[in-house]
Amino acid sequence: MIYSNACVAFIAVFLFCLPGSALAMHISEGLLPFNWAALWFAVATPFLAYGLYRLKKISKTDISFKPLVGLMTAVVFIISCMPIPVPTAGTCSHPCGTGMSAILLGPPISILIAATALLIQALFLSHGGLSTWGANIVSMGVMGSFAGYGTFRLLRALRINLSVAGFFAGLLADWATYLSTSIMLALGIKGADPFMPIFTKIVISFIPTQLPLGILEGAMTASLVVMLAKRRPDLLIKMNVMKSGEAAL
Amino acid sequence: MQLFFEHLKKDHLLSGIDARIKLIVAIVLLMLVLSYKGFAFPMVVAILGFGLCLCMKIPFQVFALRFSEPLFIALVLVALKCFFSGSDVMFSLNLLGLDIVGHKDGLIDGLMIACRIVGAVSIAAVLGFSTPFTRLMAGLSWLRVPKGFIEVLMFAYRYIFVLLEDALVIYNAQKNRLGYSSIRRGLTSFGTLAGSLTLKAFETSQNTTIAMVQRGYDGNIPMLKHAPFRSSEVACSIIFVIIMGAIWKI
Repeated sequence: MIYSNACVAFIAVFLFCLPGSALAMHISEGLLPFNWAALWFAVATPFLAYGLYRLKKISKTDISFKPLVGLMTAVVFIISCMPIPVPTAGTCSHPCGTGMSAILLGPPISILIAATALLIQALFLSHGGLSTWGANIVSMGVMGSFAGYGTFRLLRALRINLSVAGFFAGLLADWATYLSTSIMLALGIKGADPFMPIFTKIVISFIPTQLPLGILEGAMTASLVVMLAKRRPDLLIKMNVMKSGEAAL
Repeated sequence: MQLFFEHLKKDHLLSGIDARIKLIVAIVLLMLVLSYKGFAFPMVVAILGFGLCLCMKIPFQVFALRFSEPLFIALVLVALKCFFSGSDVMFSLNLLGLDIVGHKDGLIDGLMIACRIVGAVSIAAVLGFSTPFTRLMAGLSWLRVPKGFIEVLMFAYRYIFVLLEDALVIYNAQKNRLGYSSIRRGLTSFGTLAGSLTLKAFETSQNTTIAMVQRGYDGNIPMLKHAPFRSSEVACSIIFVIIMGAIWKI
């Protein structure tokens, strides 16, 4: 037990000193063995299929929807490539942006956006991977989108203001992504060892960068929602983010 | 963004090969690498991948940037497995009062995963460096990837560069006005930047649709038409896959 705690402290310090990119949110190419990679592909497929169904359905009535989804993908891609200083860790890291896209376009389309951004990153930047695409869709797309959207809707139903609801939506979308990434990593690399010890160690290792990064993502989502409410309330009303009565206030 | 292949040399030994063949071979190799339990096969694939990158004259800086992140992750995993996994004690040391124990079996497991990462990344890197985006999309379309998904991919890829320029202009303007001088200001500035990009995305999607409709866009983007497979390419790729399969089996 003493050995284990000492090792956790050592690894936390070791990871604390690494550049943030080493702790990037996507599971790297080749990291998961074949069976786990295939399983996460199978889990991601129905979500992606439903996202594509929604895209097709909405595009029939709104011809500008596909370009909009493409452009939102570009925004998510750029946001997730932006290095942001994380002062507590002395490193740079980046947010994921799926909480934001889920609030604006709904979880099914947000999953599609995440899948598209992840594929471009895997093919051209080696950020994430082709073999881990399914796993990354589940963690960043499915978990991030549903956590962000669910939190936002719940808080809005409780009449919490846009800024606070946006903050917690971004925060929980980010942390849900990292929690699910940690579970996938632990399952993929544990080998013959038990799950919980390695999972706990991975979560502890993520904390130095991901704790402040979640706050950053929350603040970014809150600022974005407030900015849109001030400058283009019509867009938020169109996307069912707020009601027309609220915009007038 | 220099990692995107548009900035790289376009005339190399893999540029003439059908994108569909490259995609299929890459998928088969990835499956072989992921299902292999050992060091040899992923390292053979990695050496082959590095060799092909050299033949394609990929600039060293681009190559190093491409591999830096996966290599760091591999390093972290080797450390995690070595210190947290296994039972066969290899060494122990006292660091600032903390006892650090390294395990031999954990280290071997970690190195195996690291080899798998390097091998798989080299496959994806060769595919990305050697195939233009539009051909990759046409290849995916041939593989029956849904058209709606490919269209979103093409829109996204087209507008990444446009929005990135806007993002850099806003980011530099914010930095010059001390927008990132404190944590609070930095958070607000980054939120404003994300909001501005989102607004730009909404406005551009409307304008783009109007412009595209005027040019005949009906909600579907036509894909590149494929030439028939060349028998020599098919034969060479089958022989290559068989050789790699044999190495995997050994």
